[in-house]
Amino acid sequence: MAETKHASNTKTAKTNRKNRLAQAFKQAPWRSRVQVVGGFLVALIVVLIVAGIYLSISGQAATAGLEAYRLDLKRLDLERQIADTRAQIAVLTSATNMEARALEMGFQRISPEEAIYLTIPGYAGKQTMMVTTPPGTEPAEKQLVKYIYRESLWDWLFTGINVLSEGALEVKR
Amino acid sequence: MKKSSFPRYSFLGAVLTLFAVAIFVQMVRIQNSADAEVLNDWANNYGYENRTIQSERGYIYDRWGNLLAGNKEVYEVGIEIKFVMNPAAIAAATSKVLGLDYGFVFKSATNPPEGFNYITLADFITSEQIDELSQLKTQYENKNPYGADPNKPSLRGLVWSPHLQRTYPEQDLASNVLGFFTFYDRKEGAGYYGVEEMYGNLLSGVSKNVLISLDPYEMQEIPTVPPGASLVLTIDREIQRSMEKILDHAVAANKADSGAIIVMNPRNGEILAMANTPRLNPNTYWNYNDYFPAGSSYNKSVNQVYEPGSVFKVITMAAALDAGVVTPHTPFFDTGQIEVGGWTIYNWDRGAWGEQDMVGCMQHSLNVCLSWVATQLGPERFYDYLERFGIGHRTNIDLAGEEVYPLSVPGDPTWYTINLATNSFGQGLAVTPIQLLTAASAIANDGKMMAPHVLKAYIQNGQQYDTAPQVVGTPISAETAKTLTDMLAISLEQEASDALVEGYRVAGKTGTAEIAVNGQYTSNQTNASFIGWGPVDDPQFIVYIWLEKPRSSIWGSIVAAPVFHDVVQELVVLMGLPPDDVRLSLAEK
Repeated sequence: MAETKHASNTKTAKTNRKNRLAQAFKQAPWRSRVQVVGGFLVALIVVLIVAGIYLSISGQAATAGLEAYRLDLKRLDLERQIADTRAQIAVLTSATNMEARALEMGFQRISPEEAIYLTIPGYAGKQTMMVTTPPGTEPAEKQLVKYIYRESLWDWLFTGINVLSEGALEVKR
Repeated sequence: MKKSSFPRYSFLGAVLTLFAVAIFVQMVRIQNSADAEVLNDWANNYGYENRTIQSERGYIYDRWGNLLAGNKEVYEVGIEIKFVMNPAAIAAATSKVLGLDYGFVFKSATNPPEGFNYITLADFITSEQIDELSQLKTQYENKNPYGADPNKPSLRGLVWSPHLQRTYPEQDLASNVLGFFTFYDRKEGAGYYGVEEMYGNLLSGVSKNVLISLDPYEMQEIPTVPPGASLVLTIDREIQRSMEKILDHAVAANKADSGAIIVMNPRNGEILAMANTPRLNPNTYWNYNDYFPAGSSYNKSVNQVYEPGSVFKVITMAAALDAGVVTPHTPFFDTGQIEVGGWTIYNWDRGAWGEQDMVGCMQHSLNVCLSWVATQLGPERFYDYLERFGIGHRTNIDLAGEEVYPLSVPGDPTWYTINLATNSFGQGLAVTPIQLLTAASAIANDGKMMAPHVLKAYIQNGQQYDTAPQVVGTPISAETAKTLTDMLAISLEQEASDALVEGYRVAGKTGTAEIAVNGQYTSNQTNASFIGWGPVDDPQFIVYIWLEKPRSSIWGSIVAAPVFHDVVQELVVLMGLPPDDVRLSLAEK
């Protein structure tokens, strides 16, 4: 009996609150406009936040794109400079120049009679050119831009879902 | 909040909404306006860069890593018409710094061909000249920003872009081996002669056209191409240079038309040096016709066949010894003539040398004796041995344009019985120096003939691939090779030849081949040759020398043998070969 009375009281209190709110909005119609404006502002803020994030990300992407382009040009430039420097070094150390420098420094060509020969244990003699490693396993192809920087939101989402679902399947097994 | 504030807020909201709507409307209008197509075209034209990605041409090194062919940075200079502010200043500057014609530049800048936005003024400009132009441009720009004042000079519109140009830092060193690359033709440039032609595909790498989006949002991986493969040659720069010096001196001193010296390691077929005259500086390859008029060979060592003369006797003797027809001590009584196929063969001096053995026959280079040896061998076995030595076939050395002269053998319409005799002393057949050197290398390498080659290794995709020596045949036994080597060493020693080098035992044979003019041999024009190797007990080098039409003397023993002496004197130092006694005593320890 007491429980029924308590429930009835609660229901009455709720109805009263509703009525009071309705009355308040009737007495001051600007409250409903504030509600509308508030909703609009919240939506606007959400849009602004999304737009801001979008602008920020796309700005960064554009900067990164331009930087990649600039770096590629720089790479080409450096490759040319390296080639050019190699050629310059080769000219400076060419047989003609080296001989001229040696003569300037007082060196003389040796004759076979002047040569002194010694046995040096462990010395295999002058070795021919070996500039790189001999062939072995083919190196894996490297990609300039990692996948994570190229995947879209959807790719990321679906990859995540796939990973999760595969994980779930593993657990089931 | 006051009630009176609402109209103001409403007004502000309406204004902002209108503003947003206006932006949207404007966007739609632009997208659908008459100019939209033009704007789209602009975006398409300027939104992408059509770039040709060309591999850097591979380098060429000698066996020790000295750069023989590389690439240097040069510039193309041009004018971008729409940015030109002062054509006269550009014409004056390029005329002064680059030596261009003032009128041409001025006309190009003021009255360009229709539809041209860019005009190339000059190409292959050095970085020093570009530095000078750059300084001038900056100087003018500081005094006349943006070229705003037409009365002040401005180089706006004058632009330059870098690219690579093939370069040969050693100038004409080994140019006959390297060949050249026609770098002035930036689109169709190709390698000619030598390894530049032979390995052109490896060196050039790949070329591809790609469309690169300039929209930073669409920026993808910019494709790259690996550089062309680099080559490591068997050539030793120091030996090559020494051989070229010796050859130049020998050609000049003997007033010869030209010459060639080849140095090879008989153990593995590696060419250590291949010197020829004349030599073209490949940096100025357009002078080709000055050095090589029509009919002449770029690399006589591989591109030109000639009758070798008496140096060929080593092949004949090797065949006879290997077949067991003769031994070093087989006696031969030289009467000064022998009749073969109805023709009489004489010695080089038309003299009779009396009692001889095979060593004496080689020492005195007796045509009569060697003709007799060939008849003892018989045509079938003789030509079978020549076949085994690769005579009449290319050696397939990895240099472009190797020549070959077909060998007439019994049964061919061009073969007569007399050929057996004349072929035995190197007439009536023709070889390239590399062909005879390869054949003779079997004698210096225990009977094994190695494939001659100039490529030691190539470097591709960051890895080095070494080439393996190849045995191309075993025409004679090791015992025969040793016997003949001893015979030739003794014959040089007994003759007290100018080819001998103190401290080193060498084996060799001279050759003097008369040159046929209008079908008749003439004794005042010869090819003087020498083939030799050493040290005799463990050959480390085999050398072929050829002087074409020497005028100081026609004899190989006089003009070519001393050259061999000079060559060996240099070789033993450059290769670090101790004198025989020192080497043997060190080996015993």
